[in-house]
Amino acid sequence: MIRGDAPNSFAQRAIVVEGLVKRYGELDAVAGITFAVPCGTVFGLLGRNGAGKTTTLECCIGIGRPTAGSVRVLGLDPTKPRDLSALRPRIGVQLQATSLPEKANVREILELYAAYYGIASRAAEMAARVGLDGTLDRQIAQMSGGEQQRLALALALQHDPEVLFLDEPTAGMDAFGRRILWGEVERLRDGGKTIVLTTHYIEEAERLSDRICIVQRGRIVAEAAPGELVAHYGGDATVSITADGFAPDAALQALGVWTRTGAQWKLATRGEPGLALAAVVTHANALGAKIASLDLHRPTLEDAFIAITGETIEETG
Amino acid sequence: MRLLRMFLVQTKANFVWYFRRDGEMMFWTLAMPVFFLVLFSFAFSSGPNSGSSRFLVPGIIGAQVLSSGFWGVGVMLATFREKHLLRRIYITPMPPWVFFASLVVYRMALLAAQATILITVGALVFHVRIIGNPGAILAILLLGTATFVSLGTIIGALARTTESANNIASILTVPLAFLSDAYVPIDRFPHAVSSALRMLPSTQFIDTFRDVSVYGAPLAHYGVWILMLVLWTIAGTVISARTFRWV
Repeated sequence: MIRGDAPNSFAQRAIVVEGLVKRYGELDAVAGITFAVPCGTVFGLLGRNGAGKTTTLECCIGIGRPTAGSVRVLGLDPTKPRDLSALRPRIGVQLQATSLPEKANVREILELYAAYYGIASRAAEMAARVGLDGTLDRQIAQMSGGEQQRLALALALQHDPEVLFLDEPTAGMDAFGRRILWGEVERLRDGGKTIVLTTHYIEEAERLSDRICIVQRGRIVAEAAPGELVAHYGGDATVSITADGFAPDAALQALGVWTRTGAQWKLATRGEPGLALAAVVTHANALGAKIASLDLHRPTLEDAFIAITGETIEETG
Repeated sequence: MRLLRMFLVQTKANFVWYFRRDGEMMFWTLAMPVFFLVLFSFAFSSGPNSGSSRFLVPGIIGAQVLSSGFWGVGVMLATFREKHLLRRIYITPMPPWVFFASLVVYRMALLAAQATILITVGALVFHVRIIGNPGAILAILLLGTATFVSLGTIIGALARTTESANNIASILTVPLAFLSDAYVPIDRFPHAVSSALRMLPSTQFIDTFRDVSVYGAPLAHYGVWILMLVLWTIAGTVISARTFRWV
């Protein structure tokens, strides 16, 4: 396993997790996880369902008790009751399973949570922020799962916490809800909040995270900025061309490794794929070869994920 | 101030969410006990003026206190845990005692409403008069509620699922209501049996409440039983606090 460049070690670290182990009976749900999250950054825990992401997050917020290892959030130890009491007002949490009383309406829930935190209720403002304006009098039972998730986000944000924990925040959300949530996370990141998010959506992790930690079977198998992960593990970019009479010349050979499948030529290159593509097209034109198909594939985070874990993120039969 | 507001908003929320907007709950809480009173009054007696209604009004109120603790608090807590409501509350700054106090006050308010309705129906339909000292009646009612809420919380703490909490509550509530002088006088059992049944906290509470309310007995006569109820309450609270799980 490699780790990308360590984040600025002088930056204050909002969360420090060291050697975290959580055992359920015979199973190590978390089998030794270590990471640190600098203040003001978004840290994404990416992995399959059951990889140990939620358990790790639960240990950070005092819901789960580590079997071994230590956790510090804002310098506080969530396993100590006194520290946990001091921590609670400073963190906001969106849990995976939305858990709100069915007969409560949006306004009442936001008012109750405002009372929990000793702040004035900002029900209308918070509802609008998560795209629930005009639903203040709607009961939970009449809201879709995605709407409940967005309300859960509003509850996590209302008291303006320093650190946010979002556990699979967009699981089961429609495209609209996802856009709203992503926009809100980006806004919070720009506002200097520290955010830990677990997800099994690669696109989500890539878009929102400053650093991504890939978790597999209770362990971290890679940790770096999304771009670094792709650069290290994504593999070569490929340029594919099908054109009558095309054959790479010496200059093109120098760009990378060429393979031929039927009429299709494929170049795997470490260089800038855009330049390689231009060179290939220029050469085909010079040869007078008529291009039937042309394709450029840049390595993605998904490629990196597969290379690192040896499996796709969605469980397939 | 902050805690008081937290407590008041939570208590109001309990009332609105779990009672006022829940028709089934309102029916079970307000209508069923009256139905029992009317049914049993006619089933067990020869006429509206016989002693059975006088026995039943405090008995049914007492049975409501039991089920309030076992169902209203015990099963409710297990449901809250299963639906992950408890873990959501746990990560807020609300102190656990505020949460439990709001639950207890909410149940007490419902019990007060139930008692008022039963006493009114008892007075108007069955001529049952409450002659005891109001302070003494309130005191024994509060103590009984505390006892059965604390015992009910043990169910909420130990039951893994709503279903098992439901089963435990049914196994306890239904027989206890019949074996604790609530619906039928346990004097009808052989002496050895009724003496044994008088060891139950439910019997001690219901008998004390009945004697104080409809027979006007002074609370001081029941010192030993009151002490027992206090001990049950302490035991229930300690066990609950030790075993309660938020997740």
